[in-house]
Amino acid sequence: MERLGDSKMTCVLERKAQIKTNKHLTDHLYVMELIVEDIPSLVLPGQFVHVQIPGMEGHILRRPFSVYHTKQSENKLTILYQIVGFGTQKMTTLGAGDTVDVMGPIGHGWTIPATCQSALLVGGGVGAAPLYMHAQELYKADVSVDVVLGAQTEAALVCKDRYEALLGQSVPCSTDDGTYGYHGFCTDLVSKSLDKRSYDYVACCGPEPMIKAVCAITLDRGIPTFVSLEKRMACGIGACLSCVVETTNGLKRSCVDGPVFNASEVIW
Amino acid sequence: MAVNLEVNLGGLIMKNPVTCASGTFASGHEYADFVDVARLGAVTTKGVSLNGWTGNPTPRIAETPSGMLNSIGLQNPGVQTLMERDVPWLKEQNATVIVNVSGHSLTEYVQVVEALETCDGVDAYEINISCPNVDSGGLTFGTDPEAVNAVVSECRKRTKRPLIVKLTPNVTDITVIAKTAEAAGADALSLINTLLGMAIDPYKRTTILARKVGGLSGPAVKPVALRLVWETHNAVSIPLLGMGGITNGLDAVEFMLAGATAVAVGTANFMNPHATIDVIEGITSYCEEQGVQDVNELIGALK
Ligand SMILES: Cc1cc2nc3c(=O)[nH]c(=O)nc-3n(C[C@H](O)[C@H](O)[C@H](O)COP(=O)(O)OP(=O)(O)OC[C@H]3O[C@@H](n4cnc5c(N)ncnc54)[C@H](O)[C@@H]3O)c2cc1C
Ligand SMILES: Cc1cc2nc3c(=O)[nH]c(=O)nc-3n(C[C@H](O)[C@H](O)[C@H](O)COP(=O)(O)O)c2cc1C
Ligand code: FES
Repeated sequence: MERLGDSKMTCVLERKAQIKTNKHLTDHLYVMELIVEDIPSLVLPGQFVHVQIPGMEGHILRRPFSVYHTKQSENKLTILYQIVGFGTQKMTTLGAGDTVDVMGPIGHGWTIPATCQSALLVGGGVGAAPLYMHAQELYKADVSVDVVLGAQTEAALVCKDRYEALLGQSVPCSTDDGTYGYHGFCTDLVSKSLDKRSYDYVACCGPEPMIKAVCAITLDRGIPTFVSLEKRMACGIGACLSCVVETTNGLKRSCVDGPVFNASEVIW
Repeated sequence: MAVNLEVNLGGLIMKNPVTCASGTFASGHEYADFVDVARLGAVTTKGVSLNGWTGNPTPRIAETPSGMLNSIGLQNPGVQTLMERDVPWLKEQNATVIVNVSGHSLTEYVQVVEALETCDGVDAYEINISCPNVDSGGLTFGTDPEAVNAVVSECRKRTKRPLIVKLTPNVTDITVIAKTAEAAGADALSLINTLLGMAIDPYKRTTILARKVGGLSGPAVKPVALRLVWETHNAVSIPLLGMGGITNGLDAVEFMLAGATAVAVGTANFMNPHATIDVIEGITSYCEEQGVQDVNELIGALK
């Protein structure tokens, strides 16, 4: 039997973070830069932080957010967030100098498969953010990286420029309303990319229906595919069993065993 | 002034009155980055059944005003894993261990206790007859005095270890159940388990929890829990382990004044991963400030 302690990868820290900037990007999207000790240098691609937002009155739970990118020399950690409810709405009212309590880094993020030569990353909506550091590490590891992004509108394609700057090439995008790139879902772009060249690895993050649609395509073609899943979380550190995902290897906790899972293992 | 924090919960000596509430702290290992489990009065482990259960479908939680609903459904790997993996780890850390026992049937409760009797590291049992999240067993036992009598007396026959019985608030008169458990041989009572509740998404017109209903916990339940601890304290003579919405030392003191000998910190761990330690420190500073030399002076000391 597995001994407790053996599986523990890194330490989860709890730190007070200062907001450096909290920028309005679109009606629904904001990007927040946090200055926080220790955590930025420990974050691995695909990991998340569990954030307690001040002034939440009766809303007692922390909110999980993936790390978009970091700048270790400045102790800076950036998250991209979408307004969906009370907490994310509250976050928009915070500004430079305000403090939030951050637990992190948490979770098993992306891992580059040993033999990976050519990767396709697929990000839908804010799902583009948790893939960015992964693109960075793949690029550094000399893996050929292509990225496909989808969003509702041109304005919501907020990660596009950063990806294009990293990869030095334009990134195929789809928009639901046709204001930019391909008019339709990014799953169509995925099929097109797969027809054009062969990939031995796909990483995908976004709304669950999109993830499912992408996996249907990639798994059908036998391409190893990894996905980052969002489940409701309480503790965020593996204790409460709120966030479980059904897999072929039993129930797994998405906070610590994920949020990144091998798609062939997930029972949807 | 050094305050005496040691309490005796029905034969279980705790170095301070604070444990974690079952199901919110796993077996403590997950909290090791934040809490030295040896500093707690005891660690109460997640409810364990004989061969393990898979629990309920997700979503399993919903945030509600000043609290949360959960319908985890007692997912656990079974008593064998607890004995081979979790209890030895807790003992290596020098923790005092309360094992929370669950069952779908009278026989299962008994079999879990029998299995645990072979495990040296267990210091006490908390028999959970109050889980609202399973279809058979759990709550149905805790609301029926005859079933309470049967479960408690059968478990009593099989152990000399301190036997704590965990009560549900989802009854008309908790003192009836409390007295039944006391008469059947319980050494202590713990309360409250969660209050049955519901959350609805008005746009989707569905419940947020896949199971539809779940157990309410967190600060929202504290006034209810205090009232039930106080009523129970007035009805029985065995000690009480009080819980429900405790987030800081003063909350804990309030439970002790209402009659609790010890307290458990549950949902607060999700808000603040070192909540248990903060509660211990908060009780200590209250005692220092108020000139209380022995924390036992607080128990039931409501004027
Ligand atoms: C590992 C992980 C990484 C994430 N990364 C990002 C990110 O980078 N950017 C981003 O915008 N969002 C991200 N999310 C989703 C984000 O956590 C939710 O949008 C946020 O918690 C909503 O909070 P709220 O108070 O605005 O919504 P409310 O609906 O008011 O929240 C009520 C409760 O539901 C939970 N909840 C609501 N929606 C979600 C959801 N989609 N996933 C998990 N819990 C939810 C909340 O945490 C809270 O407990 C991530 C989620 C997870 C699990
Ligand atoms: C996620 C979660 C899981 C729980 N699991 C159990 C359990 O396995 N056994 C049990 O007796 N109580 C369980 N409880 C109830 C708590 O132990 C406690 O009685 C209740 O939450 C009230 O305390 P609190 O408000 O401090 O959380 C659970 C509560 C929560 C929130
Ligand atoms: S959120 Fe508690 S186990 Fe994952």
